[in-house]
Amino acid sequence: MKRNKGMIIGFLAPAVIMFLLVFLYPICRTVAMSFFKIDAVTSTADTWQFVGIGNYQKLFTTDIFKTAMFNIGRIWLLGGIIVLVLSLLFGVILTSGIRGKKFFRAIIYLPNIVSAVALATMWKQYVFSPKFGLLKGILDTLGFHELAKTQWLAPENVFWALLFAYCFGMVGYHMLIWMSGIERISPEYYEAATIDGSNKIQQFRYITLPLLKGVFKTNITMWSISTAAFFVWSQLFSSVTANKATIVPAQYMYMNTFGGGNAVTERNAGYAAAIGIILCLCIVIIFTVCNAVIKDDDLEF
Amino acid sequence: MKRKLISALLCAAMVGTMLIGCGGGGDSKSSDGGSDGGNKLVYWAMWSEEEPQAKIIQEAVEKYTADTGVEVDVQFKGRTGQREGIEAALGAKQNIDIFDESADRVNRAWGAYPMDIEEMAKDYEAEHGNELLFKICRETAGGTLKSIPYQPYIYGFFYNKALFKEAGIDAAPKTWEELDAACAKLKEAGITPITGDTAYQNNAFGHHMARFVGQDGVKTLVNDPAVAEKVESGEIEDITWDDPKVAEAVKAIEDFASKGYYSENMSANVYPAGQNQEFAPGEAAMIWCGSWLPNELKNAVAEDFEWGFFCYPSVPGGVDDETANNVGAQVLAINKDSKMAKEAFELITYITAGEFDKKMTEEAMCIPTDKANGDAWPAELAGAKEGFDSTVTFYDEAVGAETNVDLTPVLNESVCKLMAGTMTADEFISACKAASGE
Repeated sequence: MKRNKGMIIGFLAPAVIMFLLVFLYPICRTVAMSFFKIDAVTSTADTWQFVGIGNYQKLFTTDIFKTAMFNIGRIWLLGGIIVLVLSLLFGVILTSGIRGKKFFRAIIYLPNIVSAVALATMWKQYVFSPKFGLLKGILDTLGFHELAKTQWLAPENVFWALLFAYCFGMVGYHMLIWMSGIERISPEYYEAATIDGSNKIQQFRYITLPLLKGVFKTNITMWSISTAAFFVWSQLFSSVTANKATIVPAQYMYMNTFGGGNAVTERNAGYAAAIGIILCLCIVIIFTVCNAVIKDDDLEF
Repeated sequence: MKRKLISALLCAAMVGTMLIGCGGGGDSKSSDGGSDGGNKLVYWAMWSEEEPQAKIIQEAVEKYTADTGVEVDVQFKGRTGQREGIEAALGAKQNIDIFDESADRVNRAWGAYPMDIEEMAKDYEAEHGNELLFKICRETAGGTLKSIPYQPYIYGFFYNKALFKEAGIDAAPKTWEELDAACAKLKEAGITPITGDTAYQNNAFGHHMARFVGQDGVKTLVNDPAVAEKVESGEIEDITWDDPKVAEAVKAIEDFASKGYYSENMSANVYPAGQNQEFAPGEAAMIWCGSWLPNELKNAVAEDFEWGFFCYPSVPGGVDDETANNVGAQVLAINKDSKMAKEAFELITYITAGEFDKKMTEEAMCIPTDKANGDAWPAELAGAKEGFDSTVTFYDEAVGAETNVDLTPVLNESVCKLMAGTMTADEFISACKAASGE
């Protein structure tokens, strides 16, 4: 082993150096930036004005940032429950040996291969249209005429419209992760359980669920990361500038980096960096809590 | 020993391959397909390739190259691409000769990069320059000329003349009372008086409020960080959300909402739902938008659609009247580090004057920028010409109402709710007051 040390170092060094340059340097720079007032992302360090924890203090006293954090919190929690439960349900159904598995899997996954811009446009201009929308048509057909008049994109409802549309697209992705986990479980367990007289629900509760703990952790982490970077959908459901009902931290960060909307506004890349750091910390906390709460190393199969 | 040697060689080979693979071409000075700064102009355009404006620019570029032999690398970045990329590229000294965006953005936000072209543009301005637009360019650049305007625009109320006639309205409203009366007649005739898209409502609100308190008043009201010093020094009066004039302005909108003058979809019309689904088919008579609207709707309106236009009406006892408008332009600027400034300026004249400026009016329904094309206004914008020519005070984008990013999302939502009648004037004021940090 000792003789190979040089070889190990030699082969690792380029990758490590590249990693440090491409990842560690931007991370350190972002952390440093968050303590300065900086006009543009590319401003040279000599133009930075040190503000200490001023950016963080301002963030925690700014209403719109708190609203953005509340919105992203709701998307993470409620959207997470909806997406993970639905995707698990579909995953279990599709791995239960039904006919047309490949077809349904492709259909459910399909929204993931369509551009978010196209999807969001379809949702807001067609599905949610109060004039000729799909939703209006369905509700009218079912006789819910009052409900059909709902202004889905009005400030009171637009958050839920956005959440629904986003979750619709995300189910397929998480379903695939669940399915890969379920398919890893040996069918022998189910056969043994069936012989012992357990029904499908019991099998799901006592075999599938416990053996999916690791996959669950993966799903939560993936969901948290994609939620923290949530931006395109909010942007597309907004007017030119962000809307209060759907604003998320990444959008607020963008507004402070590149300016908000058509007007020229004050920019502060340091303030935006502080938002990035806060989002990053949120993911680290979620990941740590998940690791502490969900132990998946007690079962081997 | 042998093994060590092989390891070292392998490592060296790997590192070498990586460096070759990851490194840029040694000879190229541009990393973005640009030229080497020798004999090719690089132009970063804010348009997307499929837009009519982009097609005309491309034609102008081809003509320029044919005439002069100077090749041009035009890169259509789109609005977002330009806003996100140009400053970083210019800051990194990337080889870019020409770039464009709105006068405000080029001259203020990116003001460190454009070249001063006062001398270079002297003859051009005398022959082709529109006085108002050059004034805008100079004022946004701190008193000197750093950009050439093109693609001018004006915000205002576009209206459907046929619907006005049907409701018995003879002339476009000039005052708030006249607008009130016109809306009442339209409503009586069963026509939705006003629709709009949420994207433009901050702009409409900015005009509305500025009629009462002026543009500086709007900026202080929203706590624009850029005027903070002037407020402190007492140079401009600080208008707060408790000001009676502000309450009067907000109540005027509330009053219109209570009379049902705004479309019921006002707060749910995410662009372009209002213009496409309500204004174009003739369900609503008026819409607040910029002068690009006829071009955007040219395939959506009926062939005999009659376009009307009027500026935001004046209000009793107000500060500004209909001669104060959000008039602006896109501008072309030359990078101060450009080694081909003379060629770049010549290309700009191809795009902004003469044949191709005229083509813009015909194919993209734009307002002409060359004063020699003064009579080439598209018929759809005839009403806007009157407003444009009569403008004495030009407002910034959204009349300064969008200058505080902490307030803008709240303001937009609140204005839309106020117009939709789901928020009262008092609720509106307290929501904006809290969000603007008062």
